[in-house]
Amino acid sequence: MSEILSELATAVIEGNSDDAIDLTEDALDDGLEPQNILDNGLMPGMDHVGVEFRAGNMFVPEVLRSARAMQSAMDVLKPLLVEGGVEMAGKILLGTVKGDMHDIGKNLVGMMCEGAGFEVKDMGKNIAPEDFVTAVKEFNPDIVGMSALLTTTMRSMGHTIKALQEAGLRDQVKVMIGGAPVTQSFADKIGADGYASNAASAVDLAKQFAGV
Amino acid sequence: MLSDDQLQELFDGVLHVLEYTGLEVQHKKARKILKKAGAWVDGDRVRIPAYLVKDALAKAPRSFTIFARDGNPENDIHIGPGRAHFGPGPTPPNFIDIETLERRPYVRSDSEIVATVCDALPNIDFCESLGTISDVHDELAASYEFATMFPKTSKPIVAWSFGKDDAEDIHKIAIAEAGGQDAFEKRPNYVHYCEPLSPLVSTVEALDKLIFCAKHRVPVIFTPCPLAGGTAPITAAGIITQAAAESWMGLVIAQTLRPGLPFFMGGVLSVMDMSAMILAYGAPELSLMMAGHTELAHFAGLPLWQTGGCTDSKTLDEQAALEGSLSVYFSALSGGDLCHDVGYTESGMTGSILQTVMMDEAIGYSRRITRGIEVTEETLAVDVIHDVGPNGHYLREQHTRDHYKTEFWYPNLCDRRNFEEWQEMGSTTMRDRVIARTHDIMATHQPTPIKPETEQAIEAVLAAAEERVKE
Repeated sequence: MSEILSELATAVIEGNSDDAIDLTEDALDDGLEPQNILDNGLMPGMDHVGVEFRAGNMFVPEVLRSARAMQSAMDVLKPLLVEGGVEMAGKILLGTVKGDMHDIGKNLVGMMCEGAGFEVKDMGKNIAPEDFVTAVKEFNPDIVGMSALLTTTMRSMGHTIKALQEAGLRDQVKVMIGGAPVTQSFADKIGADGYASNAASAVDLAKQFAGV
Repeated sequence: MLSDDQLQELFDGVLHVLEYTGLEVQHKKARKILKKAGAWVDGDRVRIPAYLVKDALAKAPRSFTIFARDGNPENDIHIGPGRAHFGPGPTPPNFIDIETLERRPYVRSDSEIVATVCDALPNIDFCESLGTISDVHDELAASYEFATMFPKTSKPIVAWSFGKDDAEDIHKIAIAEAGGQDAFEKRPNYVHYCEPLSPLVSTVEALDKLIFCAKHRVPVIFTPCPLAGGTAPITAAGIITQAAAESWMGLVIAQTLRPGLPFFMGGVLSVMDMSAMILAYGAPELSLMMAGHTELAHFAGLPLWQTGGCTDSKTLDEQAALEGSLSVYFSALSGGDLCHDVGYTESGMTGSILQTVMMDEAIGYSRRITRGIEVTEETLAVDVIHDVGPNGHYLREQHTRDHYKTEFWYPNLCDRRNFEEWQEMGSTTMRDRVIARTHDIMATHQPTPIKPETEQAIEAVLAAAEERVKE
């Protein structure tokens, strides 16, 4: 790995957005391919953050800072990647389901997925099944993520999946769900494609779905 | 806990006992010192007029520092109001083997384990051995213990000894590292522990050691171990009064010989269980009496030798966690200055470094609570609340980043993962994690080495000690 890419990884790990932007621009000036910068600079940085977070050596505020640095660099790279016809990690549509106003966990998932290179559209909270359907049509995501904190509102996840089926959209997206009362067996029961028990596992699951 | 009126009554009670009942002082030279100072000596019985005790209290410092041997300021102990420090205790005959987890006699290599683990634990401030070495000459257990622990920790050691000779062995090692007696007096790097007898006896050994400490300006602990209902009154106020009188006899001698000598008032106060006939180390009365004793010490202007983190349980189980954690928490709340016996199990019969490792977590937890709530413009965060507003979140706020490391306490042993992750990591119990952490410390921790001249001093001291006991 060239020195500049290694510095870029460090900027991501340290959560230094200004450096991440500058180094990305410098790398492009040096003639490095956008894909190379992403794969060998930004991604190794974020992978390291993931490992350290799991080991208990980094904490959520630091991970989010790194995610922001990663996004800042991606803002520079993305137009060039798209121009070059490169496949992005994927698009994720997120929302807390109808009747549920709790969104801190879903916000965390969104920020961490962005940090992993996904394009995230966060619809917010109290999102009705029909609104998910409309958004899938407009945004055309690869993954739909739903969350709920309450046992009374988690049923709405099943209703949303049903609405996607009825609209003929179910096959073009992967559905992942999470939230305190949600379990793998609930995910199986309502026909979701996956369940993650926390934000870091949600990122892993999204990566698995996106094949990256 | 106690009101000023109650403390004044306890204080007056102690002065009354010292003046009208007096103590048996078995040490001839000590009686001479006391008589010269103005005490009334009648055979072995010594009574001390209240003004002499008050003089001694006025001379003894409330605040002072015990220094780390390697100059690492993080390991210095600053004694003073509002500061509680923690460490193990001395001399149980048995030890829980950290590999087999079986109870067996304490051996020399255990001192190395205890010192290394104490050196690594973030919430342990001083080191004691948790045992009496059984595999060296009987009279040299304390000398070998100090010689073995000293190179393995730079945290100040609280040493004990049988008498004057081994106190001298220990002191020679400590001053070698400090750079001589003068340097030691300016920056003392260990504390010595003396134990008089209850009820109301100052023994020859305890006073030999106390006089040695006064002569060499070694910070000293003078601590009886009375049993409520056995060797002391059954009431909390009664045992506190007697124990304070026993400790203050040492105070008067020490401050007469060496005004300003750092002196810890002592007393391990607990109940003699009237069914099991043991000194209960896990009793609520221990925490309660020790808190009262601490308040009396602070009222009189002295630091206290506290007790906590101990248990009557025979193994690392729920009883050990419950008794140890509650006494640690109460000790932290009372602000007792050096809290010892963190790692005592089986009523003081067995030392367990595993208990110490578990209690390190309880101390960290307690310290987060006693640190309290800081209220400033910055911590009130009204601006941050305004900026985030309804429906926002604080995860990305600079304010969160600035404070998440200091506002929260992060556990080392308590598991907070969700069920799936906990299961993935092997579904471990607290006990499993305590053992794993202990093994990990032993495999990885490297204490700061001692100076080459100290290594030579240790060799010379032990060789001379072996010669001494041959005779």
